[in-house]
Amino acid sequence: MKELEFQEIVQQVEKALEELNIISPQLLREKMLEALAAEENDLAREMLSQVMENYVVAEERHLPLCQDTGMVMAKVEKGEEIRIKGGSLRQALDEAIRRAYKNNYFRKSIMSDPFFGKNTGDNTPGVYFFELEEGDELRIDLLVKGGGCDNISSLGILEPGSKPEEVERFVLRELDTKGGQACPPLIVGVGIGGNAPYALYLASRALSRPLGEANPDPRYRELEEKWREDINRLGIGPQGVGGKTTCLEVRIETYPCHIASFPVGLVCSCHVFRQKTLKW
Amino acid sequence: MKQMEGKKEVILKTPLSVEEIKFLRAGDKVHLNGVIYVARDLTHQRLIEDLEKGKELPFSFSGSVIYYAGPTPARRGEIIGSIGPTTSSRMDKYLEYFLQKGLRATIGKGERREEVKELLEKYGALYLLACGGAAAYLSTFVVEKEVLDYEDLGAQALLRLKVEQFPLLVAYDAQGGDIFKEGKIKYRNLALYNEY
Repeated sequence: MKELEFQEIVQQVEKALEELNIISPQLLREKMLEALAAEENDLAREMLSQVMENYVVAEERHLPLCQDTGMVMAKVEKGEEIRIKGGSLRQALDEAIRRAYKNNYFRKSIMSDPFFGKNTGDNTPGVYFFELEEGDELRIDLLVKGGGCDNISSLGILEPGSKPEEVERFVLRELDTKGGQACPPLIVGVGIGGNAPYALYLASRALSRPLGEANPDPRYRELEEKWREDINRLGIGPQGVGGKTTCLEVRIETYPCHIASFPVGLVCSCHVFRQKTLKW
Repeated sequence: MKQMEGKKEVILKTPLSVEEIKFLRAGDKVHLNGVIYVARDLTHQRLIEDLEKGKELPFSFSGSVIYYAGPTPARRGEIIGSIGPTTSSRMDKYLEYFLQKGLRATIGKGERREEVKELLEKYGALYLLACGGAAAYLSTFVVEKEVLDYEDLGAQALLRLKVEQFPLLVAYDAQGGDIFKEGKIKYRNLALYNEY
């Protein structure tokens, strides 16, 4: 049995949360620069220029990229042969959020109860998905996104035997009406299969992967590319002002599904893509 | 005023008059100067509750501008943390109440309900777009901050800000013009539209 210190996890997660809220990944900056070069709309270019300026100011002044520092999501893959010494994983994640959000003056946006609660004051708890795996490794994928893009999440209950084109139509219809509110250009997660709640989980899980990580299945890689191009033909553009860049990446995750159902989950991240993967 | 690609670029100072905003069109660039008020979901609820109870507010709505936002806390010695716009459509239901009191412009992000455009025409007011997710950059245009009320709401407290050259676009003008609709029509691939 491998052992891992509680404090080691807290420290690493705290550091990751600090960094992802302040520093944008290099690949994201490159994608934004490409989008800026491709846009013909002066207003779209204006929006993208401000996004690029924002990377500089945030890093220089140690300010969060977005005022909505989100509800922290963590997807945890834990090997059955690894043990945390000194506390639970859930406690470690909560403690890391508490420290990172207090020490770095991030916004505390979590209400203790939807109806009867008040602000918890430290941005805890996060939302955690634990998956038990074989072996002695621990992997934590952290994803931070704001309320604006989470509010366009959607569940489609399609007919069994649906073709990729029908799933794409669902995605296009949803994004056409709501995409402009979610701070495009977006990263789009699509979960297909499982049951209804699992399809939404698959979509979130797809978003929690690092930027630019290609789908291992070439058939899905092809679909991701086609859907991205088609979403960009909607014309929504950066911040919805019109343009060629509405989506930077589409990620599809699938799971076996029941003969009588075909759930599709759609979950997006705004252009301030805040993600980190930690491994032990 | 600078003319570019049919769009104007103007400098405005608060309070705003009906005359000066009527001359602007969706897609125009605005550099805003002066005092603006920060209020979002719960702030609006509280304001309406208090006004209905007859409470006097510490400012006048005449010619005023509301910024839909909830900033991050300021570090010691700093004026404010990051402050970008939040999704405006959540505040659509409160809009007419404040337009009736003289509100002249709101700042936020994203499309709003169709009725909003009719209200802006009726009362002579603007909806201005700030770049969502450029919150650190936008904070550099804030030169003063004062908490006016509802400090217990944390990030949703009512704030008075003084801004200099705050960069905005006219999203909806007072004639029914709509930057989102116009942009989408221009850059959309129509074959796809018919297809799906």
